Amino acid sequence: MTEHHSNPYLPELATVTRVIEETPNIKSFQVVLNDPAKMKKFFFEPGQVGQVSVFGVGESTFVINSPPTRMDFLQFSVMKAGEVTAALHELAEGEQIGVRAPLGNWFPYKSMKGKNILFVGGGIGLAPLRTLILFMLDNRSDYADITILYGARTSLDLCYKQDLKEWAARSDVKLIQTIDAEYPGWTGKIGMVPNVLKEIAPSAENAVAVTCGPPIMIKFTLQALSQLKFTDDQILTTLEKRMKCGIGICGRCNIGDKYVCKDGPVFSLAQLKDIPSEL
Amino acid sequence: MTLSKLKELVQQVLPEVDVLIGYKQGFDPVHATPAFVTKPEQINDLIWNPLCVHNLCSYLPFMKDKKVGVIVKGCDSRTIVQYMQEKLIDRTKVRVIGIPCRGVISVNKVLHAVNHQPIESINFEGGNLVVKTPEGPKTIPMDEVMPAKCSICQYPTPLNYDHLVGEAIQSDKPKEKVFEDIKEFEKLSLEERRKYWEKEFDRCIRCYACRNACPMCVCQDQCLAESRDSHWTSQRDDLTEKYMFHMIHSLHLAGRCIECGECERVCPMEIPVAKIKKKIGMELKELFDYVPGINPEDTPPMYTFKAEEATIQEHKL
Amino acid sequence: MAHSGFIPKDNLNSVIEALSKKARLFVPVEEGDLVLFKPFAAGQTMCFSRPANLPPKAVIFPQSDVLFDFNLKKDMENLKKVEVELKENLDFPSTIIVGCRPCDAQGFRIYDRVYLEAGATDPYYKGRREKTTIITLTCNAPSPGCFCTSVGRGPADEDGSDLLMTELPKGYYLEAVTDKGEAVLKELGLADGSAYREEAEKAQESAAKAVRKPFASLEKTPEKLIGLFDDQQFWEAEAAKCISCGACTYLCPTCYCFNITDEQAGSRGERIRSWDACMFAHFTLEASGHNPRPSKAQRLKNRVGHKFSYYPTRYKGVTACCGCGRCIRYCPVSVDISEIVAHVQGAQG
Repeated sequence: MTEHHSNPYLPELATVTRVIEETPNIKSFQVVLNDPAKMKKFFFEPGQVGQVSVFGVGESTFVINSPPTRMDFLQFSVMKAGEVTAALHELAEGEQIGVRAPLGNWFPYKSMKGKNILFVGGGIGLAPLRTLILFMLDNRSDYADITILYGARTSLDLCYKQDLKEWAARSDVKLIQTIDAEYPGWTGKIGMVPNVLKEIAPSAENAVAVTCGPPIMIKFTLQALSQLKFTDDQILTTLEKRMKCGIGICGRCNIGDKYVCKDGPVFSLAQLKDIPSEL
Repeated sequence: MTLSKLKELVQQVLPEVDVLIGYKQGFDPVHATPAFVTKPEQINDLIWNPLCVHNLCSYLPFMKDKKVGVIVKGCDSRTIVQYMQEKLIDRTKVRVIGIPCRGVISVNKVLHAVNHQPIESINFEGGNLVVKTPEGPKTIPMDEVMPAKCSICQYPTPLNYDHLVGEAIQSDKPKEKVFEDIKEFEKLSLEERRKYWEKEFDRCIRCYACRNACPMCVCQDQCLAESRDSHWTSQRDDLTEKYMFHMIHSLHLAGRCIECGECERVCPMEIPVAKIKKKIGMELKELFDYVPGINPEDTPPMYTFKAEEATIQEHKL
Repeated sequence: MAHSGFIPKDNLNSVIEALSKKARLFVPVEEGDLVLFKPFAAGQTMCFSRPANLPPKAVIFPQSDVLFDFNLKKDMENLKKVEVELKENLDFPSTIIVGCRPCDAQGFRIYDRVYLEAGATDPYYKGRREKTTIITLTCNAPSPGCFCTSVGRGPADEDGSDLLMTELPKGYYLEAVTDKGEAVLKELGLADGSAYREEAEKAQESAAKAVRKPFASLEKTPEKLIGLFDDQQFWEAEAAKCISCGACTYLCPTCYCFNITDEQAGSRGERIRSWDACMFAHFTLEASGHNPRPSKAQRLKNRVGHKFSYYPTRYKGVTACCGCGRCIRYCPVSVDISEIVAHVQGAQG
């Protein structure tokens, strides 16, 4: 085993233990670090990300979307888009990858205690929210109402179907699902996430909203939340940028003087309004 | 004289375009820099002298949404022609102001001539330039500090323009000498040439100035030198990678390179990259009897296929 | 501190040769009309009369550097089973750089804050940096385009250097800046140079006065740049002539951004990191096709912003430009960063 705790560029070797096909172009990978001691010691906070390597192809950044309260494995969800994600989609159970994690900041879950939590997710944007949702469900008594609004283009594009089923069945979670247009057999809502958000009109009183999804959805969701009287401090989102080092050195993922890999990926809307508009 | 005529023409053309690209003085006496004129008061900044080395046409394919006026020398005008052949510009949206030219300077050659002293002033007197440095003034004949392309220039008057500043002039450089340097270089053995290029390419820092300054390098942001899709080159800084990039660049220009020499002029590592393109140009001339950027109606030879090429006899072998 | 020394003009070469016996030595060497830092070797023509075309940044931050080798070992019993072996090399040789300029040495100080001091430590940078001694030659005259005094530095600044060398009519006055520099002075066993100190200081002062001043101060420049962030017209005008190549960044002693890629041949390969430039469109291009900086105006804005706003905001007001002027001198179209900064300062809004 290579000694590398001092080298932030050297990945931990890990094994893919399970591959879940979420949608036609999204797969989730459950992985376990090869070194059992390191796996046991592994600690992260909800919202932190990892750099996942396919050796010979490269690295890409993904949020760890399993919660720190369930440490049998780390889960990453991958939408097929570029070279690394395509290579990841080829992987089968038992294959080797590299993981550099945890990186970045996390959701301020401590200051969210006692509050009503509103999650607004779109498509694969549910991944970072999933970590926090599961973490909160595992510490359910710490939080007041939990509302999850989740949408996708079609019902085929909804991720984490098993989770959705479980959340729908729980009485202490309010789950609203929506798709953009009618689809045979669909019993949830029809409509864009921001419009459904306005329709269900959750109260901003003692609440925190956490949102993630495609940029256009985020844009209109933020507008809808403002209309619903959520202040900029009450809104959290996570950003994505092309990253390489993941540790604030390579200079690639900056927005003004902030590095998404190090100062993010989690930002409040108040923080975002303080940095240049370069998303 | 030429400058005042040029300014008059620019005055006339400016209202018809969104921006006019010319030259103004750069950060020091030996550098001109492209000037993007949008307001009449900026016309006064324009200069015209042998410092005006840049091929300003290179900006045109990236400004398709605008009406652009551009000042071109004879050599630069071949870019316009080539763009017309390849439909890379909408010629009706471009106003070309041509200037007959007897040669520009190579900044590197001037710096060499004054032993890299900082230049305090530079004046053009007759066929000479007078360069003042802390060591005093020095008179240098223009011929000694011209880029190679000027000393064999066949097209001192632009081949394509809407307005011409002054009178057309004829080339005073013999045609037979155009490829003389390449023929001379080819007298070296294969091994000597390989060594030569290895030494030159070894300096390459892969800044892609040659590519980005090349008017005919139109892939730019999609360049396969950086793509991992075909992965023709890696990011290693080995000689092989550098060599490969320059070969890709050169081959993409076969039959399209209009020999403006920008690739070589802009290289911060002073690699003679235009030499490879010129070699390919020479081959193309021999194979297809073709010179790029002369006639807007032509089709570049590598863009077309003829079962029987007029100048290639292989089917009769 | 100032343990000082003096090298008579004729002795410089023998001192340099002595240094080459102690460590891997990089010196400015003439190659055609260029001056480049190269490993010291017999038969070279060294050049100290003008700054090198490339700063010696590659000595500590190579253009392309192997982060680790990987070996994908197939299990011959079960071909689907592949074991991965990673191997890093963090062993770096002792190195000396002689004859870089104060701006070049300061570049490493700009890197230090990012690579060593801000959080995660970069072991490759750290290893080379610690093992490198930098012997700097102060500038006795400005070079075309340079403007070090405007960015709060100067032609004899010691920041980043271990030993400072000032050329005088009879020889070189040496002054130790760090313990490393002090050690070199001792090892060389030079004559005491304190008699030349005053003369050296005078030379340094007159050199500082000769440097052009494109702007008076950088006060409020970080804020001004943020204020201009959304002024698309301003940046399009500044970037109009830019051809979006990487010459400015690759020649810059303070540009440090890099790319990381995997290169594989057969079952073996390496993960390398290599210089990258925010002037290239692909720098921020995401796999989805989305690019936060699709235009050259946005990219040039980032380069200026990084040096004169973002970096100073992150690191206690330090400007990430040392005014060496290379980006101006060697830009294919003479984009002048000092002129852009002056425009920023003069802009409304």
